[in-house]
Amino acid sequence: MSKHMRYGVSVLGALGLLWMAGTAGADETTGVTDTTIKGGVMGPFTGNASSYSNAAIGLMAFFKHIKDQGAIHGRKFEIIQEDTACEPAKGIAAAKKLIHQDEVFYLHGNSCSGVAMAIKPTVEPTGIPSIIAHAVNPNISMPPTKGIFHGVPAGPAYGSTMGKFVMSKPDTKRVGIITHTNDWAKSYCAPAVEYMASQGVDPVVELALERGQTDATAQVLKLKQANLDFVLGCLYEAETVIFLRDAKRYGLRVPVMGTAGTDLENTLARLGDPDAVKDYYVLHAFVDRVDGPRMQQWNDIILKYYPDETITGFSAVSMASGVAAVKAFEAAGRDLTRSRFIAELEKIQGLETGILACPISWSATDRHGCKASAVAGFVDGRPTVLSAWGKPW
Amino acid sequence: MLLQLTVSGISQGAIYALIALSMTVLYRATTIVNFGHGDFVMGGAFVVYVAVILVGLPFIPAAVAAIGIMFLLGIGVSRGFIDPIKAGPHIGFAMMSISLGYVLRGSARTLWGREVLPMPRVFDIEPVFIGDLVITGDAMIISATVAVLLVVFFLVFFRTRLGTTVQAVFQSERGATLIGINVRAFHATMWGVGVGLGAIAGILIAPISLLHPDLGAAFLIRGFAAMTLGGFGSLGGAVVGGLLLGVAEQYLGAYVNTALIDITAYLVIIAVLVVRPAGLFGRRVTVRM
Repeated sequence: MSKHMRYGVSVLGALGLLWMAGTAGADETTGVTDTTIKGGVMGPFTGNASSYSNAAIGLMAFFKHIKDQGAIHGRKFEIIQEDTACEPAKGIAAAKKLIHQDEVFYLHGNSCSGVAMAIKPTVEPTGIPSIIAHAVNPNISMPPTKGIFHGVPAGPAYGSTMGKFVMSKPDTKRVGIITHTNDWAKSYCAPAVEYMASQGVDPVVELALERGQTDATAQVLKLKQANLDFVLGCLYEAETVIFLRDAKRYGLRVPVMGTAGTDLENTLARLGDPDAVKDYYVLHAFVDRVDGPRMQQWNDIILKYYPDETITGFSAVSMASGVAAVKAFEAAGRDLTRSRFIAELEKIQGLETGILACPISWSATDRHGCKASAVAGFVDGRPTVLSAWGKPW
Repeated sequence: MLLQLTVSGISQGAIYALIALSMTVLYRATTIVNFGHGDFVMGGAFVVYVAVILVGLPFIPAAVAAIGIMFLLGIGVSRGFIDPIKAGPHIGFAMMSISLGYVLRGSARTLWGREVLPMPRVFDIEPVFIGDLVITGDAMIISATVAVLLVVFFLVFFRTRLGTTVQAVFQSERGATLIGINVRAFHATMWGVGVGLGAIAGILIAPISLLHPDLGAAFLIRGFAAMTLGGFGSLGGAVVGGLLLGVAEQYLGAYVNTALIDITAYLVIIAVLVVRPAGLFGRRVTVRM
């Protein structure tokens, strides 16, 4: 190698090291200024899963509330909202924009498991902290990666709750499943089936109802033929409405256990028929009814910043992980870096948020923060939080 | 179960038939395939929603208003966006129709992006029970509407001067112009009719489904499948194709696998194009190379 070439290689090497050092430094504090912390909130603000955007609205209201309360170590939140439409391609574009164009410090939100899984390869290599505040697929955050945390019950917690509730009904022997065929639905149904199998009950029939379908006649008639004691419904809200409508229409009178992807009162509002939802039960993440006294302060925060917002079973769910994030920001101190923030998130143990029915606990080896859920159903025509069949929470 | 599946399939298929029929009418009159038609269907559903829920009109006047508004929109599309690109390549029409559909969808998302809207029940007809068979009020209204429209369109297309005009313009625009037909006005009117018919489909969908800005996409592909099955350009074929598709979805779902319901339309398109490209009632076209 000539002298000139060695010189050139040395210069390039030095420049490369400088660039890497600069990048590393920038990555650690990207999105943080002396007075602001920039966060990115993603949610399905459009599309047929857009009712889940209530969760993102709740989260943004919470950050506005914290901002108005004062700064965290001199810094106030600056939140940038991006729409995923619950579609992986749009989610990837939104994540790239937030990370590379808006240069946010961390990501928060995401209601759709398909989107959260799709953006994982984009998010993970950057090391950006990311708190999943609504989506449930357990594989989003486990096995642990550097920066991804689950701030709501993940599939195993929710799914086993579904299974336990179904089995808590006396003499449950014949269970049918109606499900989407995506990762989101599997993350609910698979742990539920696993739990039921442990109790000696295997599904009699498993049927698909895909997103966007407007008729469930075939599924309902097959379920009716199966002579079931309970139906597990791993469906998004729009399809749940279609299914319950057709179930009533064709005389399928069996209790249905739904996911946290549906909200009890919202489902009733969309069906407009109390008779069609009287045997419908859903996972309920909260410590109280959606309009119960213990949820009032959180609902008030949402309505203060979004007066036109309708409070649903999704509205406050992401605020719980907002509480955890604020705790970690406070603990990380003034010298905020992404590594320090992640380290503080990992130290959170048994955090009672006052929102979720379970405390949030994270560690370096366990990123599923919340491991239990209640169930809600109509009892005597009133929404009621239940711990088991016929037992109030 | 077979009978119930058939009744439900016919009811669902009637909507596909109506969408296919409206696309076929436009295609027969203008030789343009409207790839944005699903979004015009969505537009009709949303207009009737606004008229009923926000304005407070009774359903029938709201439906008439929605059809009228969408008819005018169709004329506006023809005059404002199709006429100016008439001299360009045919692919331009496809691009334009796709783009207009997305603009419509985007506009709806701007207004109702976060909502999946329930339309209150408007067909307050008690279901008919024949043994275990249930025939819902929705099914009766939808099937009757499609049947009436089909009869009207057959009479218009095959028994009136207007129908002859459609045939003339379809076969040769230049020839039609030479015999004194105002082709430009005719095309605009047929755009209005096509979009208005699509709006009727949207109006029928609204009470039996949930409204959201993306609802047209799923119905568009089923409309295409119905057209393909029935034969492109055939009015009767569009209707038969839609009904068969609706029934096929139910049968495949019930007797093979419910996961197939979602892809039945695609399976139909593939099967027809391979086995009988002209469809059930289409005419075979031979191109000499």
